[in-house]
Amino acid sequence: MIAGDAQTVIQLIDVEKNYRVGTEIVRALRGVSLSINENEYVAIMGPSGSGKSTMMNILGCLDIASRGSYLLSGHDVSRLSQSKLARIRGTRIGFVFQTFELLPRTTALKNVQLPMMYAQTSNKKRRALAALERVGLTDRATHRPNQLSGGQKQRVAIARALAQEPDIILADEPTGNLDSKTGDEIMAIFDSLHTEGQTIIVVTHEEGIAARCHRVIRLLDGRIASDTRQTPAPATNPIQEKATVA
Amino acid sequence: MIGRILRFPGRLVRASTSTLLRTGQNVLTAFVQIWANKGRSVLTTLGIVIAVTSIITVVSLVDGFGQYLTKMLRGYGTQYMIVNPYVPPAMRGRGMRRVTLNIRDIEAVRTECTDLRRITPFVFAQAEVAYASETAEDIPIRGVTEHYQTIRNFFVDAGRFFGPVDVDNGAYVCVLGRSLLQLLECDESIIGDYVQIGDARFLVLGLLQSKGSVFGDDQDKTVMIPYTTSLKLWPERRDQVPFLAEAIDEDHIGSAEAQINRVLRERHTIQAGQPDDFRIDRQDQELKQFDKVRNIATGVLAGIVSISLLVGGIGIMNVMLVSVTERTREIGLRKSVGGRRRDILTQFLTEAVVLCTFGGAIGVGFGYVLTNLAALHPQMVEVQVSSWSVVLGIGFSAGTGVVFGLVPAFKAAILHPIDALRHE
Ligand SMILES: Nc1ncnc2c1ncn2[C@@H]1O[C@H](COP(=O)(O)OP(=O)(O)OP(=O)(O)O)[C@@H](O)[C@H]1O
Ligand SMILES: [Mg+2]
Repeated sequence: MIAGDAQTVIQLIDVEKNYRVGTEIVRALRGVSLSINENEYVAIMGPSGSGKSTMMNILGCLDIASRGSYLLSGHDVSRLSQSKLARIRGTRIGFVFQTFELLPRTTALKNVQLPMMYAQTSNKKRRALAALERVGLTDRATHRPNQLSGGQKQRVAIARALAQEPDIILADEPTGNLDSKTGDEIMAIFDSLHTEGQTIIVVTHEEGIAARCHRVIRLLDGRIASDTRQTPAPATNPIQEKATVA
Repeated sequence: MIGRILRFPGRLVRASTSTLLRTGQNVLTAFVQIWANKGRSVLTTLGIVIAVTSIITVVSLVDGFGQYLTKMLRGYGTQYMIVNPYVPPAMRGRGMRRVTLNIRDIEAVRTECTDLRRITPFVFAQAEVAYASETAEDIPIRGVTEHYQTIRNFFVDAGRFFGPVDVDNGAYVCVLGRSLLQLLECDESIIGDYVQIGDARFLVLGLLQSKGSVFGDDQDKTVMIPYTTSLKLWPERRDQVPFLAEAIDEDHIGSAEAQINRVLRERHTIQAGQPDDFRIDRQDQELKQFDKVRNIATGVLAGIVSISLLVGGIGIMNVMLVSVTERTREIGLRKSVGGRRRDILTQFLTEAVVLCTFGGAIGVGFGYVLTNLAALHPQMVEVQVSSWSVVLGIGFSAGTGVVFGLVPAFKAAILHPIDALRHE
């Protein structure tokens, strides 16, 4: 609960989120408090409609809480202006979506450079190529999304999230649109990023994926039902093994 | 402090290069979008194309005529005016005494009007001209003095003009316009020979330089003789002699006109409040006349252009609204990776402007083609597309892009990132 803690990256204090649908009010989050430290590897689980995406969107500064506060690296971001939030999204947060969200008719390299366009980062190309290398897609840099497989698209999206060296990577069901083998490959990338020190939060429905994480938070009806730390299960995927060994 | 000052230009350069880069990126994105929707883009820019085509064509034509007319009038001198005996229509047959303008009036104007440099009576008649076996009918015969050449900028380029002695004596001498050579089927050897004008024989002293034709009126189909001789041939004109008067310079045309007006009213004893019995036509006002034509053309052009820009603009707005809806998820993504409202706004505004400018460029192309087609017509004056009309056309189309792109761009900019990403 201490804002100044150097280890704490994320801190939610009594966060509520209400949506108004017509005259009805949907209480998607009903008082969520949690803190996540640097280099944690967290799985968010819970039944459909429990508020996982809602929480992720608030964590990603894509949306703001109706009540409560959100400290990102000790700074309260719950009352910031639109443009300041945009800047945080562009520099401190890497979002990975279930549906990849790559720009059509745009090469993998240009897609990875997109956040840098807005943040006016220098050395765009070099950084983007480095990010593509980390996800093993150097040879696909000039390919367009329609020339890539689902797994490759998601890897481009991860490279895009990585390119700005964000404080956290937020992935909302990153394997939801992929078969289990490709999903494993994607998770292997997250595993190795975590090994390199990245803070990662993954929303998932699959226990097998949650098992790879060091901490599992379960949501139920907009509240945290459980929050457990665990020793990650040994990898079943050869790629992942290689990554952890390295 | 000094360090900060020294760093400042560097920061400025970096900031402006990144703005430039981003603008370049936006323009590139715009071209990708236009290319991806080729058919739609071309159709929506139709209004803009029409607007710019009309701007280029009309401006070029009006400009061409204007320059032609200015050059022509300059060529004939713009510092002179023509004074004619004249009864205002309202006074006709109301017992106003017979209008006269005679040589004594002209002499008085010459001596009393200090702002005049030259003056010449101008007796106009038409007659048959014959040489050897050839005759030419209805040739304009101008009875003038030697000053006429300077006032009208109309000199001989072979032989000589008649001089003051010929005028004083009412000599039977003449100079011929170049077209007479064709009409009479002869060459320059006619100088020194005699032609028959009406019933009299005239010695040909010289040939006038060629002036070409003005709006189909052949300036070279003329014969000039001393006005004194004209009055001998047509004595009934003695009381109806128009004259040409040249001001000392362009700034004194108005005051010279006033002087003529005063002298003639005095001599004709016209009471204050009574209308003049003469009319002074200033040549520089011919130019003003053309300005009226130019204004009408500009008005009509403004009408066409504003309607087609409006139609074109609404088309652009519509297609941009469609584009924003189609690309809602893209907007959501751009926002989620750090795009601010103003970034999205500029992106879509740039797209609208590029689309419009693209239409404008096509319009400029069509304008060139139409202008050059018009120039092919044999009776056409020399026209060419003026660079400022191109600037005007492109400027107007870009402006339309800004105005009509604002609503869609704003709609895109204020989208909520999550709502946009959820868009189906
Ligand atoms: N924009 C919105 N407007 C209204 N209600 C919303 C909106 N977004 C989410 N909700 C509601 O908030 C609740 C939580 O939704 P959320 O998307 O966070 O669930 P989730 O845990 O991500 O579910 P899933 O596993 O299906 O993705 C749901 O009841 C949902 O209907
Ligand atoms: Mg969800």
